Amino acid sequence: MNIHGSVVSAREIILSTEGVAAGYGGDDIISNISVAVGKGSIFTVIGPNGSGKSTFIKVLAGLLPARTGEIRLGAMSIARLSAPQRVAAGLAYVPQEFNIFTNLTVGENLRVSTEFLERERRASAEQRERVLAIFPEVAGRLGLRAGYLSGGQRQMLAFACAMMAAPTVLLLDEPSAGLSPKFVAEIFDKVKSVNAMGVTVVMIEQNVKEALRIADIVLVLVNGATRLLATPDDILTKHDLHKLYLG
Amino acid sequence: MTAQVILNGLVTGMVVALPAVALTLIYGILKFPNFAIGAMLTVGAYLALALNVYLSLPVLYAAAIGAAAFAVVAVGIDQAVFRPLRERSAITLLVASMGVSFVLENIVRFIFGNGARSFELPLARPKLVFGLRINNEQIFTAVAVIAAMTAVYVVLRHTPLGRAMRAVSDNPALAAARGIDRERIVRWTWVIAGLLTAAAGVLVGMDRAIDPLLGWNYIVTVFAASILGGLGNPVGAVLGALTVGVVEETSTLLIAPNYRQVVSFCAIALLLLLRPQGLLGVQRIKK
Repeated sequence: MNIHGSVVSAREIILSTEGVAAGYGGDDIISNISVAVGKGSIFTVIGPNGSGKSTFIKVLAGLLPARTGEIRLGAMSIARLSAPQRVAAGLAYVPQEFNIFTNLTVGENLRVSTEFLERERRASAEQRERVLAIFPEVAGRLGLRAGYLSGGQRQMLAFACAMMAAPTVLLLDEPSAGLSPKFVAEIFDKVKSVNAMGVTVVMIEQNVKEALRIADIVLVLVNGATRLLATPDDILTKHDLHKLYLG
Repeated sequence: MTAQVILNGLVTGMVVALPAVALTLIYGILKFPNFAIGAMLTVGAYLALALNVYLSLPVLYAAAIGAAAFAVVAVGIDQAVFRPLRERSAITLLVASMGVSFVLENIVRFIFGNGARSFELPLARPKLVFGLRINNEQIFTAVAVIAAMTAVYVVLRHTPLGRAMRAVSDNPALAAARGIDRERIVRWTWVIAGLLTAAAGVLVGMDRAIDPLLGWNYIVTVFAASILGGLGNPVGAVLGALTVGVVEETSTLLIAPNYRQVVSFCAIALLLLLRPQGLLGVQRIKK
């Protein structure tokens, strides 16, 4: 049973995909994914392990090419752009792991995150101040080697680095994975404050309860295909997640 | 006597530090041990020799022009040989670098012959400082190496190029996502490696005769220094080089000087057994 719902958003569409398929080797891991993300919304992707969530977000970030389909940022087609070109276009991505340079200091991580991008995306002093104001735990450790940070602090730094490019859309790959409950709550607070500044967030989340609490729209991916696209309220009132996950 | 030996060892270590840093930078960015590092030293020495002897340039100018020319050659070698093999394993690249080593060495033999040559240097008596004999070449070496190491340190720590080099060395995939063009960084790494090895070749050539095996004699010592410091760690490579220099030189008090490289071999063997990541290296987990 494929529910394949559609959500009509009143918002302007900032990021959209049409019939996207991608994978490694011979087989497609995700196929025929079509979504539309409203400007300023939080769009969460949930699904069982191996359902293709990370693959989907990597395709959006430009780290894995889409084999078929179209990806648009606003009106611009970005499917053929490289990852740095997409950052320059306004899309920032925070990988789940290995998302900071451990041999560089915290301050150097922030600098290097935009200093090689096209001129207009290089962080201005004001942007740096804005980011450091959102992430005081990062601001207080600028001279420390990033490898000495805890898991939660690393995630904050990776998040802050992505924000340095002043993105219009932020892609987060399971920002709460492996973190203590204290940091999970903090990370979600940051997601909300960044979103409140007008940044659209596309986020993979294993923690379904949190994902539903924070999201405007939820995409449920199962076996690389769209199982459901709905608001959190709809999912909670009209659907059974266990059944959705089992397919 | 012991103080003199330690001083000589420190100077030897300083010379070794240049190619050791070059080796470690290339390893950091391209993840392969460049076996051609010795031959690079040799070619650097011969380029400066040609300018010194045939064009009668003073050694300092000959060394500077030779090193600049060799930096271009090093980038050329990378583009011709290593670039097509970029995504291959470290073993493939290591073997390719052995090939480069033999080719460079034989080009030198073809052009300059097998005989030993030397720079045209003014003769000078060694100076006596606190009972230690210090010759002009040693002073020149110390000044040149300290200047070069300071320059490398400043580039790595305080310039966008240095940050990019360290970022690519640390996490190439993330560096690419941050817009860092790896190929550009690779070319600059070869430029720096070329400058450092050519300078080292000249310094070695000032101390002893220049022959086609000049660099070959230093390979084990250079690898020992880099491994001792933790491959990929430039500061470690300098400390490793100074340690190896002093230990090799001190060993000549106990064993015949011809066998001094045994000490470096033993250092590599012991280190690989006891602390494979090197003294300053970080343990890497291979996934």
